[in-house]
Formats: sequence, C-alpha cells, structure tokens
Amino acid sequence: MREFLLGLRLLLGSGRGNRARFALMALGGSLGVCCLALVLTIPAILDAHDGRAAARSPRLHIGQPGAGRTWVQEFRDPHGSRPFGRVFVALGREDIPAPPPGLDRLPRPGEVYVSPALHEQLRREPGLSGLLPGVEKGLIGAAGLTGPDELYAYVGATRSQLGAEARALKGFGKDYPPSRVVDPSTLEALRFTLATLVLLPLAVFLSVCARLSAASRNRRLAALRLLGMSSKGTQRVNAAETVVAALLGAALGLGEFWLLNQVVARTGLPGLKWYAADGAVSAGTAAVCLLGCPALAWFVGRASARAAARNPLATRRTAAPRAPRVRWGLLFVTGLGITAGFAATGLGEHPARSDGLNALFMPAGVLMTGLGLILALPLLSYLLARRLARSGNLALSLAMRRNEVEPGSALRVVSGLVLLVFSASLAQGVLVELSQVSRTTSPTQEYGLPTAQLSGDQQRRLREIPGVDVSTVVMAFDDDLDSDTDDDQADALVATCAQLTALTRRVEGCKDGEVMRLLDPNTGDEPFGASEFALKKDGRRLTLRVPVPKDVVRYSGRGVTHVSNAALLVPPGKLPPGAVPTAATLVLASSSDPSTVRAVLDAIGAIAPTADVDPAGINIEALRQLTVIKTLLVAGMVMGLVIGVAAFLVSVTDRAVERRSQVTALALIGARPRVLRAVQCLQVVLPLAVGLVLALVAGKLAETAYLVTGGGEVFWDGAGVPVLLVCAGGVLVAAVVGTLPLTGRRIDPELIRRD
Amino acid sequence: MSGSSPVLRAQDVALAYGSTPAVREADLALARGEVAAITGASGSGKSSLLYCLAGVLPVDRGTISFEGRSLAELDDDGISALRRERFGFVFQYGELLPELTIEENTALPLRLAGRRRRPALKAAVEVLDRLGIADLRERRPSQVSGGQNQRVAVARALVHRPAVVFADEPTGALDSANAGTVLEEFLELARSQGTAVLLVTHDPSVAARADSRYTMTDGVLAPEGSAR
Repeated sequence: MREFLLGLRLLLGSGRGNRARFALMALGGSLGVCCLALVLTIPAILDAHDGRAAARSPRLHIGQPGAGRTWVQEFRDPHGSRPFGRVFVALGREDIPAPPPGLDRLPRPGEVYVSPALHEQLRREPGLSGLLPGVEKGLIGAAGLTGPDELYAYVGATRSQLGAEARALKGFGKDYPPSRVVDPSTLEALRFTLATLVLLPLAVFLSVCARLSAASRNRRLAALRLLGMSSKGTQRVNAAETVVAALLGAALGLGEFWLLNQVVARTGLPGLKWYAADGAVSAGTAAVCLLGCPALAWFVGRASARAAARNPLATRRTAAPRAPRVRWGLLFVTGLGITAGFAATGLGEHPARSDGLNALFMPAGVLMTGLGLILALPLLSYLLARRLARSGNLALSLAMRRNEVEPGSALRVVSGLVLLVFSASLAQGVLVELSQVSRTTSPTQEYGLPTAQLSGDQQRRLREIPGVDVSTVVMAFDDDLDSDTDDDQADALVATCAQLTALTRRVEGCKDGEVMRLLDPNTGDEPFGASEFALKKDGRRLTLRVPVPKDVVRYSGRGVTHVSNAALLVPPGKLPPGAVPTAATLVLASSSDPSTVRAVLDAIGAIAPTADVDPAGINIEALRQLTVIKTLLVAGMVMGLVIGVAAFLVSVTDRAVERRSQVTALALIGARPRVLRAVQCLQVVLPLAVGLVLALVAGKLAETAYLVTGGGEVFWDGAGVPVLLVCAGGVLVAAVVGTLPLTGRRIDPELIRRD
Repeated sequence: MSGSSPVLRAQDVALAYGSTPAVREADLALARGEVAAITGASGSGKSSLLYCLAGVLPVDRGTISFEGRSLAELDDDGISALRRERFGFVFQYGELLPELTIEENTALPLRLAGRRRRPALKAAVEVLDRLGIADLRERRPSQVSGGQNQRVAVARALVHRPAVVFADEPTGALDSANAGTVLEEFLELARSQGTAVLLVTHDPSVAARADSRYTMTDGVLAPEGSAR
C-alpha cells in the first residue's frame, strides 16, 4: 500500500509532462474499453433481438384442433430488401390465448396493429395498406418487435378469410426464434474476427500506453531502486500509476460507450437497429471493464518496471537492450505453417474441413500467425536493422542503428496498423464465405413479379429501374380454357435470343424471330403438346396457340431461375401488336452484386409495394444477415483502425518526445532537418513496410485456410488483394505523413537540459 | 592572440525570452586558437549567449559575425552548414547517440558534412587515438564510463577541425579528477588544431585554464577584472 501511495504521489507531483502522459493513458484506455464494451455487448444486442422474436412466435396446435379455436397464419415477404412480417389472427370463441408481447390484446376482425416503422412506411406508401386489410388500431410495443426498424403487423381476420395454411394457435412464445439475426455458427466466426479486429489492436494500444515515456520513467524507478526500495516495491510504484489510469479509463470508457449506444441506437447501422436498452452495459461487461482492465494494468505496470527494478544501474546508464528472442519468430513460423498447410489442401481434391481436430487447429493457426506476426516483428526489425545499419546512407544508417537497439519500440509504433491489415484479410474471408452461403453464385439475379398485380405503368417503371439489365415475361399457359390437355401444355418465355443469353450461362441454336423449344439438358425434357395463352388487347380477350416447335434451343441455366419454368421461347414479335398476356410473370434481371440486389429490391418495393416479389434463389433473411454482418465487420474495422491509428500516433509522438534531446543535439551539430525527418520516417516506415508485406501474405494464407475449411467453393480470394494493397499503401503513406511533423526546423537548446 | 583578427565577434548583443531579458549586453571577440571562458551563476544568461553566438538562437539586437561575415546575412541552411562544418559542440552530458558505437558517434559531424562512411570512421579513430580511447571504438556509450563518454563528445566536436568549439559546461557532469583530465586533453587538442574554444562554466578552476575570461551577471557580459 505504501508503494501504491508513493506511486500516486509521484504521479501527481512529477510535472506537466507526466500528467499529460497519464491523461493520454486514461483517454487511450477509455477508447479501448469503449470498443471492448461494444464487442462484449454485440452478442447481447443480437440475443435481445432473437429473444423478442422467440417470445412472439406463435405456438401451434399439433393434430386436429377442437372447434372454437383461435387461428393464425403468418406471412413473411420482402418489402424492398427488408423482411415484412404479417400475422393474421382469427379469434376463436373459447380459449383465446394471451396476446404476444407488445400488444394489450389480440386484434379483432378488421383491426390492424402495426410496428412504428410500418406505420411510417404506410404513411409514405399508402398502397401498402392493401396487404393489411382493416383499420389501424394501434402500434406494437417495443417488447413485441425485434428492432425499431422492423416492418411487422398483426391483422385481425375471420376464419373464412384465412387460407388453407392457417393453423390453430396455442399461444405465443417459443424457446428459439424462427430465424436468428446472425446464425450461431456465423456468430462464432464473427466474434472471432471482431476479436481479432478489435482486441488485438487494443492489446497493442494498451501496451503502447503502458510504455509511454518509458525511458525517463524507468530512470526514475531505477533511482528509487538504488535508494533502497525492493524490486517488488519498485514494480508496485509503477503499477499504481497504470492501475489508476486504467480505472479512470474504464470508467470513462463505459461512459463513452453509454453515449455511443444512445446515439447509434437512434441512428442505427445499416441492416441493424436496436433499442438503447438492448445495448445497455451488463453487469458482466461492467465487471470485465472495471475490474479486469485495472487488474490487467496492474500486471502490465509491474511487468514494464521489471527491467528497471532488476537492473537499475543499467537503466540509469541506458544500457542497450538485448536482442529480441528467436522463440517469437518460431511462433510465427509455426502459425504460418499451419495456415499454409490448410491453404495447401485447397489445391488438392480433398480440401480440409473444419471438423474434428481441424476445428481447433485452424483457429489456433490463425491466432498463432497473428500473434506471432506481432511478436516476431521486433526480431525481423532487428535483423533488418543490423543488415542496413552499415549502409552508406547516413539517414538510413542512423534509423537502423536506432531500430537495432530498440526493435520493440519501433514495432510498438507499427504493430497496430500491421494487425489491422492482417485482420482485414480475415474479414474479407468471412464476407466471401457468407456471400457464398447466402445467395446464388450466379452473376445475375432475377426477380419475378406476377403481371396481374401490376399496372402497365408499373411494369414500364419496373423495367426502367437502374441496375435492371434484362426484362422479359414468362407467360403461363391458359388453364381456364376448355381443354383436356392442360397437363401437356408448357409455359413460354417471351424473349429475344439476346435476352435469353443474358439470363443463362450458355445458349446453343437460338434463332431470332422463331418460336423454339427451350431445353436445359440438366433439368430433363418433359413432353408437351400445343399450348394456348390468354392475351388481352384493348379490353378484348385473345388466345395465342403455339404448336410444338421443331427447332430446339439448348441452354444451360444458372441455378434457380425463372427461365426454367418455360419450355417454349416465343419472340416478342410473335405476340399480336398491343396484346399482353393475362397470366404471366415479369422477370427482371440485374447483377448479383449484393448492393445492386438491395437497390433493385428497394426500387421494386417503392414502385409496386403490394406485389409479390420472388427474388429467384435468394433468401431475403440471408441477405439481411449479410448486411448485418458486413455492418458489424465494418464497425470492427473502423474500431480497429481508430485504435491502430491512436496507438500509432501516441507511440510515434512519445518516441519523438523521448528522443528530443538527442535529436536536438544532432540538429545543433548541424544535421539538416531533412536528414532528421528521413531518420524519423525510416525508423517507422521500414519495419512497417516489412510488417505490412508479412501481414498481407499471412493474412491471405489465414483467409484461404478459413475459406478452405469453411466448405465453400471459393478458396482463393484474389479480388480482395487490390483492396488490401491499397489499404497497406494508404497506411504507409499515412505513417510517412504522420512522422514528418515531428521534426521541426526550430532548435530549442533547452531540450538537451536534464530534468 | 590579440594580434590576429577575431574569428568570432559579438557586438552589443541582446536577447529576451518574452519579457524576460536573458542577455542584455554582450561584446566579445574570439581569436583563432584562443580559449575563452564565460563564468557566472546559474540563470545569468551564459548558455543563452553561447547559443546566440553559435547561431542557434536569433538575437534581438546587436551583431554576431563569424570570420567577418554577419550571421544575420545567412539563412537557416547557411547557419546549419556553418554549425556542421565550422563549429563544434560539447554538451554537459555528452549527448552521444546511444545506438551508435563510439567511432560512429565521433564520425557523425563528418558524415553529416557528406564524408563517406569509411574515411569518416578512419578520421574518427585518429582523433579517438589522440585522446587515448581508440580501443573503445566498437563499444556503445552505455558500455563506457562517464569520463570516457565526455572524451568521445570532445572527439566528436573536434573531428572535423572546426574553427570554433562551443562548450556548455563540458566537465559539469564529471568528478574533479576526471574533469581536469578531460579539459586538459580537450584544450590541448583544440590548440593543436588552431581551433578557438568558447567555454561556458560555473567552475572557476575550469575558467582558469582559458586564455581570456568573461563574467556574466544578470545578462551583462564583462571581461573578468573589468570595472563593470
């Protein structure tokens, strides 16, 4: 306790510089704790979302229900790119279940309860009320909604109004939600990636903060030790300062997180909005932050004073530190070996899967590679510095000599940024895998809309949506006509050869202007006879009869597609002028790029809010999940970037301040400012460049190992490389620009005076 | 020495830090090879005057000329070049770069002036040899004693054969025995090269070894023994 109080006394009485350092540590720590609280709270936010979805899920009767029961029918359709949930309830005469959370009572026939977001949407798009037959009686409370932006409604109806798929309702509330906002397996990958993105840079940042002004502080601690204080006592004196800074930082960080939660809960993130209460700091998170961080700081503070406590004489005389240990290099090489091994299996016929021991080895390999990269950087920097220190170039020689004696210092400066690039590769891997599992791998995306639900003007506007490259119609044969051969008729695609080519992978034998049989050899060939199609022209009904054509156009479809519904290709010119089919599906196609798909779905929702949209092969929930995950990864990247840049700036500034007497002496004996700047810059940029190159290689290997064991089809993400190269280049440029202002032209002789 | 033209001259120099005067009145002339000492109490302004004379601090009033040319005529690069090639510095705590070896520290002014690495190191070893510490050349400053470090600082100040060496309390961090030896070697080497030395010290025994002595009192410089 005595040493702890002495540490506080030294902190308060050791001048403005030290107090500024303490403030920086506390502020830096608060930033880290804020990010930590966010990472710890994200699962709670998702759990709250899923918990409310589970609590309102209808429980259905199994078997034949008795008379007088309450019936329910759920609809889950896309409205634009957002899911739109509707629950139709037909109240029974007896045994009426308790209302779901967020409602005081179940709606009676003709009554509608809507979510606040849907209420707003209805105000903007009155046409949407066609999907909600009845009068709006009130709003659903927050307890009954997954989030503030959810489109959800309870619609009161009579039993006869419900379809055949309606089921007898037992009550509301299940143990599990119908679909999670993020799948548990994905959430694990996401947590792992977020931890790498945020916590590793955070650890680097805290290490940087703990080592601030290390040289002058160590001299002070060494003086205490020389005056007779015990080794442990000296370490405790130092730990007092870091603990108080961490405690203050933790309290500030929780405050910052509270503020952030309030702001973001109101504005929301793309694809994910939550109630402020969902993001409230839990007791566990508060305990981790308020107890864990100071406890960690205690050990870090003691550890950072160990050298001064053990060898005070060497510290007072600023003895050259020992060369970095080779074992960290071994950790990196081992990690790299494991990830490279997993990546290499992707080249063979039997790629490794994430089962059995692989489920342990793969993440362990990725972690070892990331940690080893950072811990081995001092060794690599040391070896590089030794090689270049005897260079004929003075600036390079001075910079490398510095890195040779203090390789860890240079690396503390750059490791946050290096980790960021490594983590970015992992994030790319997660996104690549999610893209594979959540949507079709086709380069085009189709959207089918029944023309019966669209006016002519709507159809025209839909065809003109930006991003829609192809628009055709799949015409349904007329089963209303008096015919005994309904089963032998076929639907027809009304399209040109060019349109067919755009919608399929490969087309053979297509002749423009001719009616042809459509055949995809992969899906079989069912015989059919002459087909008749009902058309409408100027209010009159026409019939188009298409005999079985002799010519066949063979095509290879792209997974789930509306084209596969048709067995006839009818050129648009073969329809009577001005005639339109009475039963058809308007098929639009755009690029399958997720952002384009979302934009097109949003545009469709705006033009035809009540039309049923069938986005072929796409799961609207999966698309939303992908958006959420992307948002979280981007948030993680931004946090990692903030922490990485903060660590860089803090440590590069601290390093410059620690060195200012020597830099001043150099300037006094005539060193040109550009030489001093070059030294300052090279000290940081060379190890950074080495670190970034290694991070790119190691990151790509780790990403490939993840993709290979993930079981997808894409193992090598070459498309992500240019982005990473640009990021790495940007980081280098930022580092150069960041170090330049640290050496000014003005020389202050006072800086070489000792304290 | 009085017969030769002064290599460094200060006339009516004044400097203030904000409203606090550091140097109020200073006139000084330093001949080639002359050793001059400025003594005075702490805070009297002697170090400020030294850095004014070296062109580091711009003066508020007066003229400083080196080899007949006013420093005010030189731009920042010109003054840097002067410090690099014609001036040398010895600081109280040596201010050697801990990451460089003794020979690399000594060769630094030559390297800054553009000399290639090998010839610069060779010249450095020659000076170290004259000071009797050539055998330490591969070591780092942390691996030698304080007195040896200060000898290296002296070697660094003289290796490029400057016209003037500015020494701010050059033996202030050493014990009296070491201080005497280092100062003796320093002045002997400087005189043998024809280098003028301007010493700032609060130690009268150090000042006693100078050819001419000045006293600084509250920013006013006066030749020792003068009526002022």
